[in-house]
Amino acid sequence: MKKSILLFSLSVILAAGGITSCKDVIADAENPTAGASELDRKAVLTQWADTLVIPGYQRFSSKLTAMKTQSTAFTAAPTVAGLQSLRQSWREAYLEWQKVEVFEFGPAADVSLANRFNIYPADAAGIRRNINSGTYNFELATAIPQQGFPALDFLLNGIAADDAAIVQSYVATANQRRYLTDVVNTMDQLLTTVRGQWNGPYRATFVNSTGTNAGSSLSLLVNSYVRYYEQALRSGKIGIPAGVMSGVAAPDKIEAYYHRGALPLQLAQTAHATVQNAFNGRAGQPSLKSYTDALGAKDSRTGQSLTKLINDQFSLSSQQLVSLGPDLFSTLQTRNAAAVQSYNEMQKAVRMLKVDMTSAMSVSVTYVDNDGD
Amino acid sequence: MRPSYFQTYTPAAPLAVFRVAFGLLILASVVRFWAKGWIDELYLQPRFFFPYYGFEFIKPLGPYTYGLFAVCGVCALLVALGWHYRLAAMGLFLSFTYTELMDKSTYLNHYYFVSLAALLLVFLPAGNYFSLDAQRQPAREHTHVPRWTVDALRLLVGIVYFYAGLAKLNSDWLLAAQPLRIWLPAKNDLPLVGSLFNYPITAFVFSWFGAIYDLTVPFFLLNRLTRPFAYAAVVVFHVLTAILFPIGMFPYVMIVAALIFFPPEWHERLLERVRAVFKRPSAAQQPATPLVYRPRVQLALVTGLALFFVVQLLVPFRYALYPRELFWTEEGYRFSWRVMLMEKMGQVEFKVVDSATGRTRRVNNSDHLSVLQEKMMATQADMILQFAHYLRDYYAAQGVHQPQIYADTYVSLNGRMGRAYIDPTVDLARQAESFAPKPWILPFDDEISGL
Repeated sequence: MKKSILLFSLSVILAAGGITSCKDVIADAENPTAGASELDRKAVLTQWADTLVIPGYQRFSSKLTAMKTQSTAFTAAPTVAGLQSLRQSWREAYLEWQKVEVFEFGPAADVSLANRFNIYPADAAGIRRNINSGTYNFELATAIPQQGFPALDFLLNGIAADDAAIVQSYVATANQRRYLTDVVNTMDQLLTTVRGQWNGPYRATFVNSTGTNAGSSLSLLVNSYVRYYEQALRSGKIGIPAGVMSGVAAPDKIEAYYHRGALPLQLAQTAHATVQNAFNGRAGQPSLKSYTDALGAKDSRTGQSLTKLINDQFSLSSQQLVSLGPDLFSTLQTRNAAAVQSYNEMQKAVRMLKVDMTSAMSVSVTYVDNDGD
Repeated sequence: MRPSYFQTYTPAAPLAVFRVAFGLLILASVVRFWAKGWIDELYLQPRFFFPYYGFEFIKPLGPYTYGLFAVCGVCALLVALGWHYRLAAMGLFLSFTYTELMDKSTYLNHYYFVSLAALLLVFLPAGNYFSLDAQRQPAREHTHVPRWTVDALRLLVGIVYFYAGLAKLNSDWLLAAQPLRIWLPAKNDLPLVGSLFNYPITAFVFSWFGAIYDLTVPFFLLNRLTRPFAYAAVVVFHVLTAILFPIGMFPYVMIVAALIFFPPEWHERLLERVRAVFKRPSAAQQPATPLVYRPRVQLALVTGLALFFVVQLLVPFRYALYPRELFWTEEGYRFSWRVMLMEKMGQVEFKVVDSATGRTRRVNNSDHLSVLQEKMMATQADMILQFAHYLRDYYAAQGVHQPQIYADTYVSLNGRMGRAYIDPTVDLARQAESFAPKPWILPFDDEISGL
């Protein structure tokens, strides 16, 4: 601490005496940027439940149901046309999944939904073993990369050389038809469980847990949100394939690797747009943005609000993502530096969310006692 | 002629009450810690721990850590009962202090207070009255003790409050109402008072009241006229902090510790009531049997206490030996009664570079650290350095040639936008820990004036 004690004592005396010396501070104090209503966490949670989570799962559910229908038709009578229809419905469901994976708290966390739906790269060898043996248990930790969308990616795009050969493999192998059905049905069951909770008792639990301690809804939501952006999006979709973590680029670790083409980047962009939308919410409605604004979080040097800085950074990282197109796989092979740059831009946003926003909200991440650092 | 201060005697009841209450609180603390599963979570699960500089040999004991806590709990109970008091007090001090030294990330000021109070209890005659020892060996019972023995505890409690108050005399606390301005709105869902927390003026009122309270309460507790009001303030203040902040047992420890300021008669009445509950004979008619130390023993004890308190008075000011902002560098921050002063949060990502190939990896901290450890490390330079050294050794064992470790850091303090904390170009693998200022901590570029 600088030893400007004299100056400091003087300002303390002035502040104590007349409150005049820090009028700007106090004026600011009496005029909270916020009415109490904008610091209402229950309103934010209600918006999340009713406009983001529940309708999000609703839309995803209909895509998943469509995929299930196509899958049932395909396994009943495998044809190239049936495969292409199934693949189209898989693409649509996979894109829709990007809009709900971020909600990994409450019911989704209880069943580790993200682990069951989207851990890649898929364990192709394990999937083949499962098909051959006909016995597998999707609940096991080792089975995580043998199910979900990445497994379907392999089953629909990578299990044989071309569409005709893929169809032929389904015609030939009853076990493979059954495996495809089991993967799809497991996803359907898990989502049904999660939706049942949200449409049932959990919604009320969620919106009424208005604290900020570890385990409160805001803490679960913020931690899940930040973790998603940091781990699933920044690291999973870009950082790991670009070799940022290990020092060795690994393009084969991208999402939807067997499908490739434009889809992997579309998935990443959809995820990024989801993160932005979830932050900003609907215009004029309570959101993480409106709550952070109401807390008055800003860069005290420039006066810019934290939410503007976050949104600016979101825009930058979103633009950088676009530059990786159209084919992420070939971009990673030919100009990996652009992907590393994309990772770096997202990392800047991660920090603002994880440090500045979380600190402004005073959200706890652990239950352990703490006397203020 | 009035006897000198060091020849004055006072009833032993305050020491006895303190001993019993303190022992029971520590016992409760141990049981709570155990029941919450924290022994496992904090001392068994992590692969790496943050020892204190100079105490690197103090580590968790694997599954025997449970035994350590058991010893601590048993000693606390024995202290409360006054059974084999001296040995129990020693055991309590050693086991509790060992536990606190195992990992910096669990540092709490009130644990430090407990260690210091336990150390004092080893030397104070708190086991000679209202204790099983006194009952079993009546010759060792003493109804009165030298006055300085009670005043030593009062001085310790007084220092805690007063220094906590001094630490609040800074511009962030008084002129910006930080960090309460961040913390209070997070509690705006409390019944009745919650909505007040939306207004920064509330944070100002709390900040100023808190500072004045800490600075003055020991003195108001000393005075007979102000004592009841001061103690009421103690209870209200600490209950409020218990409701608002996740500070565990601290409020209760202080509520109990502040009883030491009450007059001996009050403590004696309390003990009489306890005796009545347990159907023990009243001590009202008991003849006075003061504990009179041999001059040499008294001199040794008083000298020891004087040294102890000189250290206590000076250690919190050691930060003045460091050139830069205390809240930012945290050089000299711990062991200084700086409680609830900062909202500090950070993120740190480590880069490991192979000196031979130049290959760069990034570390997933959570592969090595608990949530609490990672959170604590992210804002404290000495812990970042310790973890960097651990990573150096870990990756060297993995076959990385002379790993270079760089920290990419981002820290926010009291509502300021985050900024880089550690020089990202400095290879932490080659920096050594010491008490010297750490030149690789980047400048704060802002000023917090005050003490």
